[in-house]
Amino acid sequence: MFSRIFWIARVTFLEALRQRFLAFLLLLAAAFILGSVPLRSIDFGHGELKFLADLGFGALFLFGSILAVVLPSQLLYGEIDNRTALTLLAKPVGRGEFLLGKFFGSWAVLGVFTFALTALIGIILLVREPDVVARAMALQVVPPEVSVLGLFEHALLQWLRLGIIVSVALLVGSLAQTFLYTVVVGSMAVLASQLVWIAQDTLANPEAVLSTVMRGALWLTTRIFPNLQGYNIGETLVLGQSTVLPGTVSSLSLSAAVYLVVILFLACTAFRRREI
Amino acid sequence: MTDKPAISVQDLTKDFRVGLRGVKLRAVDHLTLSIPRGQVYGLLGPNGCGKSTTLKIVLGLVPATSGSFTLLGHDSASPEARARIGFLPEAPYFHRFLTGRELVRYCARLSGVAADRVDAATDEALELASMTEAGNRRVGTYSKGMLQRIGLAQAVVHDPELIVLDEPTAGVDPVGSAAIGKMIQAMRQRGKTIVLCSHLLGQVEQVCDRIAVMDRGRLVLEGHIDEVLAQRAVHQISVEGLTPAARQAAEEALSRHGAHVLKVDHPRQTLEDLFRRLVTGSRD
Repeated sequence: MFSRIFWIARVTFLEALRQRFLAFLLLLAAAFILGSVPLRSIDFGHGELKFLADLGFGALFLFGSILAVVLPSQLLYGEIDNRTALTLLAKPVGRGEFLLGKFFGSWAVLGVFTFALTALIGIILLVREPDVVARAMALQVVPPEVSVLGLFEHALLQWLRLGIIVSVALLVGSLAQTFLYTVVVGSMAVLASQLVWIAQDTLANPEAVLSTVMRGALWLTTRIFPNLQGYNIGETLVLGQSTVLPGTVSSLSLSAAVYLVVILFLACTAFRRREI
Repeated sequence: MTDKPAISVQDLTKDFRVGLRGVKLRAVDHLTLSIPRGQVYGLLGPNGCGKSTTLKIVLGLVPATSGSFTLLGHDSASPEARARIGFLPEAPYFHRFLTGRELVRYCARLSGVAADRVDAATDEALELASMTEAGNRRVGTYSKGMLQRIGLAQAVVHDPELIVLDEPTAGVDPVGSAAIGKMIQAMRQRGKTIVLCSHLLGQVEQVCDRIAVMDRGRLVLEGHIDEVLAQRAVHQISVEGLTPAARQAAEEALSRHGAHVLKVDHPRQTLEDLFRRLVTGSRD
């Protein structure tokens, strides 16, 4: 079973690397990150490194999310529309194995995307750090510090977050009949997951006046959609702007792993019933 | 287990729901069919008659509305059954960036060929499909005939007992089509069961042992090729050097015995035979 998933993932990865869309988004995100360097003087009163990190991490998530929705949908529908899925699924390959192969292949590509852009952001931050530290020392303020370990932890969390989005796209793709529908519904699910913190905050607010139905709906929303906004702790991890509670990274990683298992289980179950 | 048919279909029905109102379209209508082992079996019928849908159901790619079926005596969903079949879909399309050899290796791995056997199995399959030389080229550069042949190679790389070929000669020139016909014969000699869907009736007649004809989802004819094609009431005699006088004498002699000559003409060769004799090789 693992061998078959590995081989499907491998071919999916190789196919994805040849997609022009990936190259386009990677170049666009890199251009966006590099473009922030000459604009660093417009830092809106925040520190220069914070400005660079904000734009870099924002670009990573924005373009990564687009890629995480479109790429697996494109690869799944490509196999179905071109009928390569017919050839593969007539072999002793389970539907679940096929879908998991698509997931791991797409997720591996997003790993390349995430770690390549994180490396670029890291290089920019580390190159600018001595200059910023020298200025801070001259002004006798506490200098910021770039944490390489924090960069790695942040990249790992972003990769997990994008993995959740890939699994959501595959779940929608297993149920939907068209590529466009998958991309639209998948994007809406990502948007809802980005905004689910509002529902969590509202439920946690004792002063909020909510009807039972509304409270139930908000509670259900917070249980269905993962809180993707919770993974936005890049500045804290990389620049130490505020304290990260001990165990935050592990807790977020565990939460992502649980979501991945549940969403992929649902996707595999839905895909088993699909007519190819 | 070997006395069980390669494919057994009992009262199979498949309805598709089409349009927003979900209008029912019956693709396969109470089909009962038994395909014996070790033979080349032709499944014929016009476009949309339910051949491909039947094969997809049997291969576990599409669920049936009702009825039952087995593949080599097993449920088609079981990996045990699917590890023993090879399938070439109609108008196959493969990953264009892989070379033919990489594609066949990939399919070998997915079909459960042991790691130490993959290279040998790939070479054998490429050789059977006459694709050894072109094996290192990317699939994206292949002609239609080569795509069919590499499709055949991926279908047989794991040495399956049952090979299902859906329109293996569609869009292929007569020389390529004849080459595929030879491959089918070679596989039959190895004792494989082959199910062939094709519109090339001449080829089906040449290679198939039994045929089934479907129309509008129903089985309209099934039997051994010689039995279903033979016109038992009519005889055919081929004669060389027939003079008008000899012909008249023969007709009188036959007439004395109560037989009537229905037709006397010159035999024609088929256009395919003529083409294959004039054109020496495929341009693939």
